[in-house]
Amino acid sequence: MLDAIGVTKQFGAKRALDNVSLNVLPGEIYCLLGANGAGKTTLVNLFLNFLQPTSGSLQIGMIDVVRHPLETKRLLAYIPEQVTLYGVLSGLENLAFFSSLAIGERLPRLRLLELLEAAGLPREAADDRVATYSKGMRQKVGIAIALAKNAKALLLDEPTSGLDPSAANEFSELLVKASNDGVAVLTTTHDLFHAKQTGTRLGIMKHGRLVEELKSEDVSHADLEALYLKHMKS
Amino acid sequence: MFAIIAAKDIRELARDGRLLWAGGLVVVLMLVALAAGWNRQVQLNGERSAGQALDYDAWLHQGYRHPHDAAEQGMHVFKPEPPLGVFDPGIGPFVGSTVWLQAHRQSEVKFRPAQDATGLQRFGELSPAWLLQVLLPLLIIIIGFNALSGERERGTLRQLLSLGVPARSLLLGKAAALASCAGLLIAPVGVGFAVFLVARLPASERLDVVYRIGWLAAGYGFYLGFFVFLTLAVSALVRSSRAALVILLGFWVAATLIAPRTASEAVSMLHPTPSRLAFDDHLSHDIADAAGKAWAAHFGARSQWDASLPLSKWGAALKVDDEAGYGALDDNFGALWDTFERQQRAQEWVGLVAPVVALRGFSMGLTGTDFSQHRDFSTAAETQRRKIQDIVSEDLVEHADPLGNAHFTYKAGPELWATVPPFKYQLPSVSFALAHHWTSLALLAVLFCLSVALARYAVSRPLMR
Repeated sequence: MLDAIGVTKQFGAKRALDNVSLNVLPGEIYCLLGANGAGKTTLVNLFLNFLQPTSGSLQIGMIDVVRHPLETKRLLAYIPEQVTLYGVLSGLENLAFFSSLAIGERLPRLRLLELLEAAGLPREAADDRVATYSKGMRQKVGIAIALAKNAKALLLDEPTSGLDPSAANEFSELLVKASNDGVAVLTTTHDLFHAKQTGTRLGIMKHGRLVEELKSEDVSHADLEALYLKHMKS
Repeated sequence: MFAIIAAKDIRELARDGRLLWAGGLVVVLMLVALAAGWNRQVQLNGERSAGQALDYDAWLHQGYRHPHDAAEQGMHVFKPEPPLGVFDPGIGPFVGSTVWLQAHRQSEVKFRPAQDATGLQRFGELSPAWLLQVLLPLLIIIIGFNALSGERERGTLRQLLSLGVPARSLLLGKAAALASCAGLLIAPVGVGFAVFLVARLPASERLDVVYRIGWLAAGYGFYLGFFVFLTLAVSALVRSSRAALVILLGFWVAATLIAPRTASEAVSMLHPTPSRLAFDDHLSHDIADAAGKAWAAHFGARSQWDASLPLSKWGAALKVDDEAGYGALDDNFGALWDTFERQQRAQEWVGLVAPVVALRGFSMGLTGTDFSQHRDFSTAAETQRRKIQDIVSEDLVEHADPLGNAHFTYKAGPELWATVPPFKYQLPSVSFALAHHWTSLALLAVLFCLSVALARYAVSRPLMR
C-alpha cells in the first residue's frame, strides 16, 4: 500500500535519504525507528509530496505520489507529531472543517461527536475552543480527523511524542484497531517499547539509510533495544 | 471545497476580533462620510437652485436699461451637484460651482468649497470613495496578510495539504473569505444607500444613476479584488507573516499614499500648464489681436473702440468685438483644458503601478465629478453667456444703432430680458463618462488579472518549504 522504491533525497551537499526502499502492506503497522536526523520525517514528507525525491519513486496504492499527489492524498491520513488546529474554533468545529475537506461532505454533529469519542476526546470538551486543549487532546482531534477520512493508509510522524503513558496506550490501541480493519500504517517513533508492542514490522534508520528491517514478533523488547543501540553506536 | 475554506476563514476572522474592530471602524466611517456627504449635497443643491432662481428672477426684473449695461451685469449660473457626488466629490471642492456670465469675457468657475475650508473642515472631507480607495485595501491587508503564511507558521497548512486540498481551492477559499469580509462590511451600507439615493431621484435620472452605480461596482470590484489576490500572493510567497505584513504595508503606503501625489507632480512636469498670470496675459493678447483684425476688416478702424467709429455702429461693433473674441477664448481655454485632460490621461497610466490612481479617475468620472464633466459644464455656461451677448447685441443693432448719436438713450425692457432662456444644464450621461474613462477600467481589469495570475503562481510553488 505504501511503497518507497530506491528513494534518495539530497538537500544540497547533505544526503537525507540514501536509496531507501520499504513497503507497508494493508493491515501492517510499520514502525520506523531512528535517531533525530536519521531521515524518518523526510520519508514522511516525501509520501506527503511536501518534498520531491532526488531519485527513486514513492507510491500509495500503486499510484505515484509525485505524478498524482492529490489522488494519493485521498488514500492517506496523516497525523503529525504536533497536531495543529485552529485555536479559535472548537474541537468539533475543527473536526467538521477538516473532515469536510477530506471526504467532501459535512458530517452531522452526532457523527462528529462519535468520532471524537472514538479518538478518546471527552464529549464535554468537544465544544471548547482548541486554544484551551492540551497536546494530547489536540492529538485526539487529529486522530478523529484521520478516522473520519476512513483512509487506506495512515502516516504518523512521532504521534505519541509528548503524550502521557495512558494516552499513548490508547493511541496504540487505535492503531491496532485500524490495522485490523486493513489499514496500512507507517509510523515514525523513538519509543521502542510501543513500537515493539504495536508494530508488525520494524525498520531502523541511520544517516538516511534503512539499516535494519525485521518483524516485531521475531524480537523481544530487550533484543530490539540492543539491536537499536548497536546500530546507533556503530 | 473552497466554500468550506472560506466559511472557516470567515468564522475565524470573526472570532479573532480583527474583522470586528477594524471592519467596524470602516463601517462607522463609511456611515459618517455618507451622512456628511448627503447633508453637504442637499445643502449645496438647495443653495444653488435658490441662487439660480433668484439670479434669473433679478435678470427678468431688472427694469428698463441699456442692453449692454444688462450684459455687463450678466447673471450667475450654478453647477448642479451630480447625485453620486455624495459618494465621490471628486474635483468639485477644488474647481468651484458658480460661473459669472458677464459681457466680453469668459469667466472661470468660482467659489470653491476648498477655499473656505478650515483645517477641521478639510478633515471633514472624508468621502466614502476615499474610504474604499484607501482604507479598505488596508483592511484587506490587515485581515489577509497571514492568510497563507500564518497557516504555514501554525502548521495548519501541513494538515490542510495532507488532506489533498488543491492549492487552487485553497487560494479561492482564502480569496472568497477576504472578499466576503470586505463585501459584508460595505455591501449593506452601499446597497442601502444606493436604494435610498435612487429612490429620491427624478424618474428620468434613475436609470443613468443605476448604470453608473453598476460600473462603479465593477471598477471598485477589480480594485479591491486586486488587493485581495495581491495580499494572498505575498502571503504565499514570503516565509513569514511579519515579512508579508511589512511588504504589503510598504506597497500600500507607496501605491496609495505616495504615488498619487508623485504622479500628479510628474504629469504636471510632463504636461505643464501656464500660470494664471501667463494664461490671462496670453488670452488678453489673443483677444485684442483678434478684435483688432476684426475691427480693421469691418470698420477700417486702427484699434478697438476707435474714436472715429460713429455711435450708429456701436451695437454692430459690440457684436463684431464679441464674436472676434470667441475664437481666442475657445483656443486658449481649449488648450488649457486639453492640457488638463492630457494630464489626466497620463495619470491613468500611473495606475499600472498604483491602481488607486486609475480607480480615482474612474470613480470621479462615473460619479460625474471629474474634469471632463466640469469642462462640459463650463462649455454649457459659456454657450449661455454667448447666447446673452448675441441677443443683446442684435437688439442694439436693431433698436439702438438706428438712433445714431442717441444710441445710449435706448433702453430695453422685460420683453428683451425674457428672450434669454433660463440656464438649464443636464449632466452628461454614463456613456460620456465611460468614453472618457474606459482606459482606467481596462487598467483595473488588467491589474486584477495580473494579481490573480501572481497568486496562482505563488500557490503553484511548493507551499511547504
